[in-house]
Amino acid sequence: MPIVSSYRFHTGVSAFFDMATSDARALLPEHLEPIEVTHQRSVLSVTAFLFDDSVVGPYTELMFSVVVPPMVAQWGKHAKAGFFPFLAATSSEEARRIKGERFHFPYHEESIDAQFIETDARLRIRVFGAGDPILDLSVTPGAWETTTHLLQGFMMNGEERLRTTLQISGDYTVHEEEAGEMMLFPHQITSGILTQEVSPQPFREHWFKNGTEVFHQLETI
Amino acid sequence: MSERTKETSATAVDIESAAPGTEGRRVDVDGTTEMIEQARPEALEYDYTNFYFGAGDDAFALLEPFDDWWEEVQPAGYYLYELPLHSAPGTRVDVKDTKTGDIRRGLVNFASYNYLGLSYRPEVKEAIKEAADTYGGGSSGSPILSGTTALHRRFAREIADFKGKEDALIFPTGYSANVGTIAGLMRSGDLIVADQYAHASIVDGMILSKAKSRFFRHNRPDDLERKLSGFEGKKLVIIEGVYSMDGDLPPLAEIVEICRRHGARLMIDEAHSAFVFGETGKGVTEHLGLDEEVDIHLGTFSKSLGGQGGYIAGSRRLVNYLRGFSRSRFFSCALSPVIVAGLRKALELAREEPELRERLWENVAYMRQLLGEAEVPTGDSESQVIPIMVRDDARIFSMAEEIFREGVFINPVKYPAVGKHKSRFRMSISAAHSREELEEGAEKIVKVLRRYEICP
Repeated sequence: MPIVSSYRFHTGVSAFFDMATSDARALLPEHLEPIEVTHQRSVLSVTAFLFDDSVVGPYTELMFSVVVPPMVAQWGKHAKAGFFPFLAATSSEEARRIKGERFHFPYHEESIDAQFIETDARLRIRVFGAGDPILDLSVTPGAWETTTHLLQGFMMNGEERLRTTLQISGDYTVHEEEAGEMMLFPHQITSGILTQEVSPQPFREHWFKNGTEVFHQLETI
Repeated sequence: MSERTKETSATAVDIESAAPGTEGRRVDVDGTTEMIEQARPEALEYDYTNFYFGAGDDAFALLEPFDDWWEEVQPAGYYLYELPLHSAPGTRVDVKDTKTGDIRRGLVNFASYNYLGLSYRPEVKEAIKEAADTYGGGSSGSPILSGTTALHRRFAREIADFKGKEDALIFPTGYSANVGTIAGLMRSGDLIVADQYAHASIVDGMILSKAKSRFFRHNRPDDLERKLSGFEGKKLVIIEGVYSMDGDLPPLAEIVEICRRHGARLMIDEAHSAFVFGETGKGVTEHLGLDEEVDIHLGTFSKSLGGQGGYIAGSRRLVNYLRGFSRSRFFSCALSPVIVAGLRKALELAREEPELRERLWENVAYMRQLLGEAEVPTGDSESQVIPIMVRDDARIFSMAEEIFREGVFINPVKYPAVGKHKSRFRMSISAAHSREELEEGAEKIVKVLRRYEICP
């Protein structure tokens, strides 16, 4: 499958929270099923990336996804996880225009600002829209390793069902110590997307550094 | 991938990378270097969760990719599960190494639940033989039809008496006890709140009941309170006496208080704590002085009594209702009378020999001391279940393999059974372990853990 886009990032975070399965189902198209972490609780992924090299130069991106099962082929080519992004926002109008056209990610029309504040023990990400706070997310590291993850992203273009394979490589840490935290503020971007409680603590914290995110060409499924 | 080569070697411990082009490592055991081939690293990053869903309309679509993956990872560590024992689950066991075909004899056993060492006691075996002569092998029917024998009736009364409750109901397994009790009692529109570390049988019971299900953070009463708040209707809270992967106990007094305040019934699964905790062995509820505050007492016979089956104990009305509504019992064959006879004798021994519990707790304390002196991390365990916290998902199978070859039978536990980076060995201590066995087992485990720098 040809590579469409490659983005180099300084920092990337994906924090997993449990959310009501009824909310997850409401966000997903008919052909996708949410993964349940426990009965009636599915997985909300909150992803934030600080890209330092791309076709549009450096920018930041925030993305909310429901975690879904990847589609299995031969296991060796099998993605570790699947995502259905239902809300995205970036600091760059050009970045969201390009990614929107190529991948049909559901971008919020207005730009955001994101601060990545890193200390030894914690990474704090503060996201603002027109000066108003949207999200404050903290994650913590476990053991670091260098790795490559193969993932699948699922999108819709009208009634068309689409899938892309993406590969994230770089320094990586993951754990389930519930040491992170997220605060969502009332904002146009986040309002109304979830009707029930989302845990304020991520049950799994992924943190990437100094890597690349590579998107493969979209497929119709 | 499963082939193994042997070559002679110096006796020094030697772990090194395999030759280029192969994935593997060499492990020196008793002067023989065993070349253990490894799966590709990416193969071990996958687990069962990756093969749960799949695209396509064929119900068998996942079989081939799972099989391909399994072929690669099974010899790299997954083979360590379901190894066949060639002996009783005593303090030492003979275990077939399915990778080599060898039977490894006399391994110190920390993998069995036989906490009081009752399953192979001569008195138990004799009772089983007598019952086999009288009743034959099986009960040949559902407990509500033809499967109940006089032994079943007596045993249920004995369990109720032991637990100090009005009545008890016997189930064919602990799994069916949880599923049948929860789904038998709760309905669509009700609320069940369970600890997030609750056993799979509790979760499956919640699913089958169709009630609204919530999980509170492990041992966090404040989160339980939040999950109960605002709900009007029937409520059931479910906790465990000893959590099987961590060996810790629930904060029962706080949970009881919250349940009472919210009008919720409280159920405790004492699978790992009944017959060992408390002055008379009733369980953690007795140990914490709150036995009468819990509404449903559930347990199993496969752990401390060394047999098989499960039970609930409580009020006469509770048992009477569940006798009619526990589908997992209703539609299963009753426990074999042979098993029941062994359980009756095991219960009798557990009641008559409180020194078994004393010895168990002495052994637990001694093992804690041995592991503590070696600075082995053991988490928050307060029980005979001691987790050895390795926290290395990538290397736990390698450690497990080396511990197995050193002469210790103990189960590795990794994601998804526990969280990411929470890999561990689950050590089960028995009253039957001798001091020498505890020392030998600890020494061999520590020797391997040191190689991996899990302890200094």
